Amino acid sequence: MSFLGTRAAVKSYGPTPALRGVTVDVAEGEILAVTGPSGCGKSTLLHCLAGIMPVDAGEVFYRGRRIDTTSEEERARLRRTEFGVLFQFGQLVAELTAAENVALPLLLAGARRRDARTAALAWLDRLGVADLADQRPGTMSGGQQQRCALARALVTEPRVLFADEPTGALDTLAGEQVLGQLVRLAREQRTTVVLVTHDARVAGYADREVTLRDGVVDPTGLGIAAVRR
Amino acid sequence: MLLRFALAGSRTDTIRVVLTGLSAALATLAVLAALTVLAIPTVLDGGRNVSPQYRNPLIAEAGLRVGVAATLVLLTIPVLVLAGQCARFGAPARDRRLAAFRMAGAGPRQAVVIAATEAALASGLGALAGLGIYLVGRQVLGSPGPDGKLALPTDVLPPVWQLAVVVAGIPVLAGLIAMLLLRRVVLTPYGVVRRVRTRPPRPWAGLLILGGLGTAALLAPLTRYLLRSGRSLPYDLFGLAVLVAALAVTVGTITGTGWIAHVTGRLLHRFARRPAGLLAARRLMADPWTGSRTLAALLAAVLFAAIASGVRIRMSTEFAADAEYWRRDAERTGEPYIPQDTTFYEGAHDLVYLALTVALVIAAGGLLVALAESIVSRRRELAALVATGVPRAVLGRALAWQTLTPAVAGIVLAAVTGITLQRSLYGGEVRSNWGTVCGASTTDCVVLPPIVRTAPLPLGDLAGFVGVALAVVLTLLLVSLLLLRTSTAVEELRTA
Repeated sequence: MSFLGTRAAVKSYGPTPALRGVTVDVAEGEILAVTGPSGCGKSTLLHCLAGIMPVDAGEVFYRGRRIDTTSEEERARLRRTEFGVLFQFGQLVAELTAAENVALPLLLAGARRRDARTAALAWLDRLGVADLADQRPGTMSGGQQQRCALARALVTEPRVLFADEPTGALDTLAGEQVLGQLVRLAREQRTTVVLVTHDARVAGYADREVTLRDGVVDPTGLGIAAVRR
Repeated sequence: MLLRFALAGSRTDTIRVVLTGLSAALATLAVLAALTVLAIPTVLDGGRNVSPQYRNPLIAEAGLRVGVAATLVLLTIPVLVLAGQCARFGAPARDRRLAAFRMAGAGPRQAVVIAATEAALASGLGALAGLGIYLVGRQVLGSPGPDGKLALPTDVLPPVWQLAVVVAGIPVLAGLIAMLLLRRVVLTPYGVVRRVRTRPPRPWAGLLILGGLGTAALLAPLTRYLLRSGRSLPYDLFGLAVLVAALAVTVGTITGTGWIAHVTGRLLHRFARRPAGLLAARRLMADPWTGSRTLAALLAAVLFAAIASGVRIRMSTEFAADAEYWRRDAERTGEPYIPQDTTFYEGAHDLVYLALTVALVIAAGGLLVALAESIVSRRRELAALVATGVPRAVLGRALAWQTLTPAVAGIVLAAVTGITLQRSLYGGEVRSNWGTVCGASTTDCVVLPPIVRTAPLPLGDLAGFVGVALAVVLTLLLVSLLLLRTSTAVEELRTA
């Protein structure tokens, strides 16, 4: 059994199937890109792997343990401690400053406020946005917001980072910068990354690519990045 | 076509339209009831203007009807606040729709007119429904009781032009309010920008409260001075001064709650150690006006309830002092003592309490809409937080802090301000009648001094109103926590 993965995962939204028996394996420290056209089930697969959403049938496992059968509280604890999650947009709390947003997971884990702030500032510094520590998201550019969100996702030093179209709302330059930092930091920390994208350039940063079509894994193995190469 | 654009919306738009219509119907009913009371014809009976066909003295006595009508009109205030909250419901969805209109070529003014038309149309339907309920109600409640008297003035219909003005005026007012609410909103084809007040609130509201209380406190010594110097009292001017004082303390209390929310937020932010406190503190600091805006009607109801409870306990003390005086008078004259019948006045106060309870219920409706809106409008952010592992309990606690902090402070402030205003106007001391009382012969006369009593603070009634208001807030908070659960479902990440 691999580090993280699914076995014959099935998920539907009402009558609409999103995943139709998907089996995926992710090795520890690997950067996996999940690609495919809109509506193929990429985000659903990421949500199921991260324990955000339960599967209707099949299995989801992490470090040899099934997580699809555990309680919502247990999966939430897992997301808080072992996983980091990065979305396309709308994830920072509008009223909190950048430093407070980044410190939030540490506070939830029981850290002292001062220690959480120190760690948050260090992460903002690593991502080149330390000068924005006391600014609110509303005053930042999309790229700056996404770097803060990345800092928040990595501040607990998670074993797995789930990123759902992390550069989808950014311009090319900002997207490249965020992605470059994400990959660099993941390699430095040996963090496993599951990266959902429909962008061949983004997929090109990954070690491996899995392509979904209509809720199933494309058996040809020819992903968008592979085609581009 | 404008109609089609105005009513083309999602489920939240439909809910907003229904709620706006409902509040318009309530406002129409309240105003029509007031006009009906004012339209009651009177006959002269023993020098008094009365309408003997009614059972309730509050309607039968012409002198008391103005007060009843004024109370009914005052009831429209929480209804209008409720309408204001409804206009904000589902704002993000409506904003997206308006931005789409702009993208399709509509000008900024046209987009605002579309939003105002929606409010006006919903209110128009509500006003018509209100008129229908009023007309049907007249028929249903129109039969006299066994004593041949009517419980309500169902035999009176205000002039048709007045009915027309109400039914046409309420939608126009609703449209204008909608335009007013959109004054800080810039509608662009790419979305909607809200100009927010970034400056923290200043403690000027305190000056309004002090000014109002000071004005009220000046009236009693001024009255004594004018009476002592043999001048007549300028009743109109005094009435105006009381109105201004009441308005100043009400506005001061409501805006003061914004300041309290901001200061409490700052304190909470300084001392909070856990994420829930931190989230609530930052939200209170970021928009302290939300608390005072959503609580406005509730605070006004508590403030007027505090005034009413002060007036009631003063009146009871006055009756007790009078009863004591007349008992002594009877002892002196040897005539039997007949206690004064005070049931009418107590009944009138019960009605005032009932009206305030109705106002509290309507204010609760507005508060529920505001709480629901505050969750629904940020459901994507909340869902993202839950997805990243933030427990819903933390978000729930943050919502509780954020709601209860301004509520508790505001309700206590409103109660204290209300009772202080009443005491400033009337003072705590009451005096009974006094006069010269003669025994069996005219030479056996003495001056019976007035009985002087101090009206106690109406702590029981005040605690009751404060308790009811807090219970209302707490209940609505629990209801909104249920909504928080559905609004943080992971599906929101896909659909919001």
